[in-house]
Amino acid sequence: MLKPLASDSWNYTKAAHLLNRAGFGGVPAEIQKLADWGLEKSVSWLVDFEKIPDPTPNPDWAHPEPDEVKKYREAIRTGSAEEKKKAQQEQRQLYQRRMLELRGWWLQRMVAGPRPLQEKMVVFWHGHFATSVEKVRNPYYMWRQNELFRRLAVGNWQQLLIDAGQDPAMLVWLDQAQSRKDHPNENFAREVMELFSLGEGHYTEKDITEAARALTGWSLNPQTESYVYRPRIHDAGDKTIFGRKGDFNGDDFIAMIVAQPQAARFITAKIWNFFAGQEPSEALSQALAAVFRSHGNNFKPLLRTMFQSEEFYGDDIIRNQVKSPVQWLVSSVRMLETELPPPIVSWAMLRQLGQELFAPPNVKGWDGGVTWISTNTLLTRYNDAQTLVEGSLPPMRTGDFARKAGGGGGQKAMKMMQRARLGRVEVEKILTRDERDNKDQIVAALEKRLFQTDLDTQKEQTLRDFLDSKKHMSDEDILTAIRLMMSTPDYQVT
Amino acid sequence: MKNKITLQTRREFLRRTVLGSALSWTVPAFLADTFSALQTQAADSATQIATGKDASILVVLQMAGGNDGINTVVPYANDFYHKARPKIGQKAEEILRVTDEIGLHGAMKGFKALNDAGQLSIIQGVGYPNPNRSHFRSTEIWQTASDSNRVEKNGWLGRYFDNACSGADPTVGVAIGNQLPQAFFAAKPKGIVFNNPDNYRFRANGETTEASYKKLNELEMSSPLPDENSGGSIAMLPAGMPMTAGRAVDFISRTALDAQHSSDEVRNIAARVRNQATYPASQLGNELKLVAKLIGGGLPTRVYYASQGGYDTHTNQLATQQRLLGDLAESVKAFTEDLKAQGNMGRVLVMTFSEFGRRVAENANGGTDHGAAAPMFVIGEKVKAGLLGQYPSLAPGDLFQGDVKFNVDFRSVYAGVLENWLRTPSAPILGRTFTPLNVV
Repeated sequence: MLKPLASDSWNYTKAAHLLNRAGFGGVPAEIQKLADWGLEKSVSWLVDFEKIPDPTPNPDWAHPEPDEVKKYREAIRTGSAEEKKKAQQEQRQLYQRRMLELRGWWLQRMVAGPRPLQEKMVVFWHGHFATSVEKVRNPYYMWRQNELFRRLAVGNWQQLLIDAGQDPAMLVWLDQAQSRKDHPNENFAREVMELFSLGEGHYTEKDITEAARALTGWSLNPQTESYVYRPRIHDAGDKTIFGRKGDFNGDDFIAMIVAQPQAARFITAKIWNFFAGQEPSEALSQALAAVFRSHGNNFKPLLRTMFQSEEFYGDDIIRNQVKSPVQWLVSSVRMLETELPPPIVSWAMLRQLGQELFAPPNVKGWDGGVTWISTNTLLTRYNDAQTLVEGSLPPMRTGDFARKAGGGGGQKAMKMMQRARLGRVEVEKILTRDERDNKDQIVAALEKRLFQTDLDTQKEQTLRDFLDSKKHMSDEDILTAIRLMMSTPDYQVT
Repeated sequence: MKNKITLQTRREFLRRTVLGSALSWTVPAFLADTFSALQTQAADSATQIATGKDASILVVLQMAGGNDGINTVVPYANDFYHKARPKIGQKAEEILRVTDEIGLHGAMKGFKALNDAGQLSIIQGVGYPNPNRSHFRSTEIWQTASDSNRVEKNGWLGRYFDNACSGADPTVGVAIGNQLPQAFFAAKPKGIVFNNPDNYRFRANGETTEASYKKLNELEMSSPLPDENSGGSIAMLPAGMPMTAGRAVDFISRTALDAQHSSDEVRNIAARVRNQATYPASQLGNELKLVAKLIGGGLPTRVYYASQGGYDTHTNQLATQQRLLGDLAESVKAFTEDLKAQGNMGRVLVMTFSEFGRRVAENANGGTDHGAAAPMFVIGEKVKAGLLGQYPSLAPGDLFQGDVKFNVDFRSVYAGVLENWLRTPSAPILGRTFTPLNVV
């Protein structure tokens, strides 16, 4: 298991597969570059990303704002009903603006950032720790968690679990901030084992209650908007966790989790599934866990081994993964050499496609795979392809935006959508002049760009017939052909 | 029917290659429907195929935001009620009386009329153990029918589709809205969702584009069919399209066909069928108008899902709830009149729910905070009319953290609807046995 891929079998198709899965795809020239580099150098470029400078600036509000917090709390505590309402409304609007900005900021990093694997891992960790702004209600916390995932993207498992547990967004999300000695809250204690590290059946209910006691003291200081350890609410007594007794604290508990062989199996199988698109076999799962453990539970060596393994390039793996909405959007923008739609539009797209960033549907995150696809999301993908390619907006109603509990904001979002300026694909970037003059070459060049492989002959014929039906093939017609190619089942997989 | 030739060929193909072998779920659902309809006559199958003419229909109506049940079904003769709500308490003379102690909010004249006609069932004090006061989490609990300390992925209606509707048309579940409600999440995804039939379509800039889209999204049958004896499975389709089990693109191809098929059907019905009642010009009114059209047009749907938002009334509750409950009652009333005129009222049951009720005591801002148990309404010609369950005690000593205690588990209501209305065993869907509340 996990045989190294023979270096002489490295080719364009495999390079495209690597770039699609470990990153967000690329144009033919980028794929060719990886094909020329060879396997080892390509993988190293992806996983050793810390060598590549990333000058992306943070959003300018990405820091604690103690004065603002104080002002707001004052207004809520002492203000009149009127003032209170005003303060709440202003904060809501400010937070909505920041969330929109944050979503655009992150998507732009995926589209144009210099470290594709790092961003891909941030997407993975976001889905894994599945924290939603719907409950956290603080854009700074959401940004901070996002940065944490970036900092430890391919880092150490124990470190990541501790840092994620002490992260303000998580402290709110799973109620650890409310847990105290006389009232331990079990939410984080349960989910850290069930969803983040071990899976059901690998701990007892008793382990949960005892772990919740160990975790007391991990707390949040809402004034400074940061983690704080509060010894006075920590339960310092003896606990029994996984059959061991001691006066454990939260760090001890996390270390005890990571020491379980199941912890390595659980997370490596999930990572394999994320990148390869399916559950690993039992033998493969054991091999992945062994690699991970032998490298001190660090993710970078695991990923290097995975991306260089024969298994990762199997026929059942390549072009057999449903693109997530984020993958669909980001890789489309990259392959078409166009620009991301404005944040309000890309937010609305991803929301309708079922992957609203910073708002996973529940603590389990997105299910992924075929569940991305329903009749509605598929038609939406086909129509969003038109938006991306031709720069035209679909007709919308305020109701499309006002559906959350509490509602509101629909009219405003509509107005923002209507004002949004969309880019469109430029044919001269996609096709050379020689290709543009030959219909067979148009189809072939677009197939290579969009699928990195050939479509079946009937679909090729359908596209050819479409082009033949146009007397003077205009740029519009070519854009329509691109949109049609994106409106196929084949385009939804990678 | 559009694409007549292709469809005929497909049926022929199915007969020749699949008949007799197990139905694969990669077979386009509407074809599987045709196929399994043939089979159900002979086979001992639990599958419920809706014909679009006679099957019973459930309409689930979500009141999102946590409706204040105490001001909806009002214990107007109860002193504790008036003491807890000096500002927002409903005055006895404004109440639409159901009994000498309990009545409906004054805005709900439409529901009062249904009550007088014996078509309204009011289930009191519905909730679940260890109530959660987060919108997010409590909605999830209602949608998945899980215990409050367990996170389930699939919805209770999704499990109904999985258990009782395999092989049915994708339109077996129709949600009006933007996203599939979690209640529809299923192991084998089913159900369609749209908020505007005009948008539920491939947007084409010309007939050639439209025709090309259709061709690109068909399982082409024009090449010679594979030999019946070459394995007898759908595994090898012509035109180089491998249909080996579990390939992601096969599933998407199937969904693409379902989308094409249902989008034509939905738009045709929406354009053809006329509403025969006057609805409020509200979002809920529009959603129910559309549902009535789809029912009248004979879409083979067992479950419709509509929703109304805005019930999170922390401040200035009086005006907001007045508007929302009035809209709810008038919209549902119009819906029942529409269905009556169609001759379909006898086969439709409407059930409302909200993720939680609200605190017994009003807050300082003329509103109420998140609470626990609340009433549910069930509407139909065959309901057990009147009050079901017990009104929860409002005596301060009987409250838990300021909230009323539930006495009907919402899953008993689901069980009653599943067993007595959709006619399917509820235990496999709800995970265990709940005593069905006989709402019908």
